[in-house]
Amino acid sequence: MRRLFAWWGERALLALVSVIVLFPIAWMFLTAFKRPRDAYSLSLDFEPTLQNFATVFADPWNLGDMVLNSVIVATVTVLIAVPCASLAAYSFSRFRVKGRKFLFFLILSTQFIPAVVIVLPFFLMFRTLGLLDTRVALIVVNLAIVTPFVIWMIKGFIDAIPTDSEEAAMIDGASRLRVIKDIVLPMAAPGILTSSIFCFILTWNEFLFALILTRRDAVTLPVGLVSFRTERGDLWELMSAAGVMITVPIFIMALLIQKHFTRGMTAGAVK
Amino acid sequence: MAEIRLVDIEKKYGNFLAVPKQSLTIVDGEFLVLLGPSGCGKTTTMRMIAGLEDITSGDILIGGDRVNDKPPKDRDIAMVFQNYGLYPHMTVRQNIEYPLKLRGMAKADRAARVQETAEKVELDALLDRRPSELSGGQRQRVALARAIVRKPRIFLMDEPLSNLDAKLRVTMRAELKHLHHELGVTTVYVTHDQMEAMTLASRVAVMREGRIVQLDTPKRIYSEPADLFVAGFIGSPSMNLIEGAIRGGVFTAQGVSLPVTVSDRDDVVLGVRPEDLEIIQRDEAPIQGRLYALELTGDSTLVTLRTGKASVCARGPADFEAEINAPCHFAPKPGVRIHLFDRTSGQRIDGDAAQGTAA
Repeated sequence: MRRLFAWWGERALLALVSVIVLFPIAWMFLTAFKRPRDAYSLSLDFEPTLQNFATVFADPWNLGDMVLNSVIVATVTVLIAVPCASLAAYSFSRFRVKGRKFLFFLILSTQFIPAVVIVLPFFLMFRTLGLLDTRVALIVVNLAIVTPFVIWMIKGFIDAIPTDSEEAAMIDGASRLRVIKDIVLPMAAPGILTSSIFCFILTWNEFLFALILTRRDAVTLPVGLVSFRTERGDLWELMSAAGVMITVPIFIMALLIQKHFTRGMTAGAVK
Repeated sequence: MAEIRLVDIEKKYGNFLAVPKQSLTIVDGEFLVLLGPSGCGKTTTMRMIAGLEDITSGDILIGGDRVNDKPPKDRDIAMVFQNYGLYPHMTVRQNIEYPLKLRGMAKADRAARVQETAEKVELDALLDRRPSELSGGQRQRVALARAIVRKPRIFLMDEPLSNLDAKLRVTMRAELKHLHHELGVTTVYVTHDQMEAMTLASRVAVMREGRIVQLDTPKRIYSEPADLFVAGFIGSPSMNLIEGAIRGGVFTAQGVSLPVTVSDRDDVVLGVRPEDLEIIQRDEAPIQGRLYALELTGDSTLVTLRTGKASVCARGPADFEAEINAPCHFAPKPGVRIHLFDRTSGQRIDGDAAQGTAA
């Protein structure tokens, strides 16, 4: 009897947590397909429409430009950050250099600084350089935020790879770079891919810097959402439609990560 | 094929001295085994030869060339690792082919060589599998094939058999020995298993705390251990070591009195191998005590007696039977070697074994 009670209690708790987590997401998805007059009701009885998506991509909202900005900023950030971070992570993982631990701590410590504190200096710097409201500025800032994090993440994956295979390759005739290319990268590939997607998500969702550093040309999706708060009130159905546009790519990527997380590439290397 | 010379090499990790200054010459075509307990510096020594570990001072010469500053890839060596160090994302074929590929061999030649090598280690049926789909013994063969495919000047093997089960280990041991005979490549082999060392080696270097304590043929290491450490380490079951003193030309300890040829002194350790003792039925036997344990090994029985603090083990006939705690008598078989060591220094004090020790 008591066990039955515990079983139901556990289920009830899980259900409650699921509802709390999923409700806002469900609300957003539903609202995206509602007409303005249905937007404030929680009723499920409404006539679905795709009109909101058409509206947000049309003038004056031009969500397409923001999607392009977000895609370019996130993609370029990943393309620069991940290769650099992989090499840095490999070095931190394998080379016993004096001051290595301190340097690694220093890199990680940049993550402790609250973004609000440095956003103003960044603003002034980019104003001086004439880079305000450009994608370049956003890419630079995102690199600064994301790279330390990705180094730390990839280092964890590389640490887990046994050095035996690398040493074997060096004896077989490979240079250090060749070892990285032929042995380390393939073995760390699932980890690097996971880190890349993580890096993409972080950049994709970045809000504060994009809000301060952009105005019109380089606005990204999260900042674009704010523009739906107008003098005519908050346009919830449009904001939801834009929100769906932000969420869906991330959702797909999260599914991809999950699949790769479970695949152990290092199986069979040793013993 | 090449000779390896280590000249005054030394390895320090910070303040920790892993391998103190010493020299060693490994003769062309020789199978040299570095033997010792874990942490004795044998693997470090091998890794220095491979170039995976820098040396703090000294010189390493391979075939007369000083290789101190050469990366592993330029030393023309092949190595088999304890954990095999296979490339998990490549097939068996790609694993074996990789060293050839790195050295720019043409594709057709590579395929032929891989095939030939795979046949030699009986892997030809498994070439398209991945390491994760192989058993431990098969992985070991892949590692071996990858090492021999390139025909290097030197083989280094770091406990290559220690992850295999006992039966497979014996089979692979024979294969290694055959392979060395066939290829004649200078081989350095690290192990903590004295049985492997005895069966495989042309010469054994017994190491302790970074130092080579004895360098000699397996036969002489067994018959004339240079000190107490080697005496206790080699042989299974290990040599009986009894503490006592020499009085009037007789080694004396509780329950033991054996005539010896060394002049009188205190603090002596007498060593005698179990297989050099026989069980006798006389009361005035040189070793007397009470029967402590009987262990049947199949072809013989290990008979242990206790006298005072000491246990003495003898290898008796398989059909030997007696009551535990019954009086028991051992005597050395005629003509066998009795070893005498200084208790404090551990050094051998009888005869000429000193010539077997390493520099």
